[in-house]
Amino acid sequence: MNLAFTLNGQPCATEAPEHWTVLDLLRDGLGLMGTKYGCGEGVCGTCTVLADGRPIRACLVLAAHARGRALVTVEGLEADGRLDPLQIAFAERGAAQCGYCTPGIMLAAKALLLENPAPTEHEVREALSGNLCRCTGYTKIIEAVLAVVGTR
Amino acid sequence: MRLHPFRLVEPASLPDAIEALGRLDGEARLVAGGTALVAMIRLGLVKPDRLISLHRVPALSQIRVESGALELGAMATHADIERSRVVRDGWPLLAEAVRRVATPAIRTSGTIGGNLAYAEAASDPAPALLCLHAEVRVDGPRGSRAVPIARFFRGFYEAALEPGEIVTAIRVPPTPAGARGGYIKYTSRSAEDKPLIGVAALVTRDAAGRCADIRLALGGAAPTPIRAENAEGALRGETLTDAAVRAAADLAAQHADPLTDLMGSADYRREMIRVWVRRLLVALRDGAS
Repeated sequence: MNLAFTLNGQPCATEAPEHWTVLDLLRDGLGLMGTKYGCGEGVCGTCTVLADGRPIRACLVLAAHARGRALVTVEGLEADGRLDPLQIAFAERGAAQCGYCTPGIMLAAKALLLENPAPTEHEVREALSGNLCRCTGYTKIIEAVLAVVGTR
Repeated sequence: MRLHPFRLVEPASLPDAIEALGRLDGEARLVAGGTALVAMIRLGLVKPDRLISLHRVPALSQIRVESGALELGAMATHADIERSRVVRDGWPLLAEAVRRVATPAIRTSGTIGGNLAYAEAASDPAPALLCLHAEVRVDGPRGSRAVPIARFFRGFYEAALEPGEIVTAIRVPPTPAGARGGYIKYTSRSAEDKPLIGVAALVTRDAAGRCADIRLALGGAAPTPIRAENAEGALRGETLTDAAVRAAADLAAQHADPLTDLMGSADYRREMIRVWVRRLLVALRDGAS
């Protein structure tokens, strides 16, 4: 099937099998490996990307349902060669260890900040509640997101 | 880790969707947000030959008020409903329950019609919609019909849908004037889980503080979402004393028919129904009017 949508700010027209998910499309169709396959059931959150500014599970959303939407993956967080403030905060605060959950967590946090530029710690925790990290214990992740909004 | 292959049909109208669903060549499934169905395909629980997407059917995702009632298109997502000013102002119990569904990314895609058609016992919105006396509109080869939500859940993961029928809308009458509502989701592991049990209540008290009307509904307490009618009956016309609330919570727990699964045993669920029905009713009694 034919698909046309916006990917990281650029128009994208491509083809994909009808049974592909957005995650298949990104990784195998378009070669963008930043978005990870974790559980495949929508539970772990590592495949989280943005669709029209809101977080989605790329492993559960059919590629056909991306038509006409604006997708943002971790590759699209930086602009003009400059890292997103979230990426800088994650790096500076050591908010990643193995890194497998990091793209999904940064996009879940990005979705929160797009809608609510000054979240409380509770709101950050709620927004990231669907993203599992088995390394960090979450403390530095929460600190990094709060650092971007200037409250820590 | 690809999905088992299927053909994707994308009808552009409701009649086309009903026609596609009624074709008899292999197994067809409707897909709305996909949060339940795609996970089931991934797990190998279903292997449909054909998925019929409702995304191109117009007007199915509208949220509007008509003659005082809330009309939710079946394709309205949980994220849209929880953000809707109309829903938050007029149907706060529903907004509260929808906000508790899974995680933000699931709520972006998951739809209210899909949630109900999936007929999961541990649905978050279902107990709220039971309290609000919602109606499910269903369209099919023989036309359109409205099913009171109390009759919509037929059994374990089984909705009252005939072959070829599609959930198209949910109609929610106005919240009773002066009613206070609340939803408690109790999870045994972490916040984004399905509820071990969910309790929704809508309480209207008279000038003397007696319970003029009460609606109490439970998720995760039986093979389907249920109303706790015997507990309601025990409280109607009564003052919500600690003893009355405790007795009603006991009745709700006795009336429940919970299942054992990975999240908890039937006995534990029953005990948690007792605890959380009591706590919710006390909170509604003692909260600011």
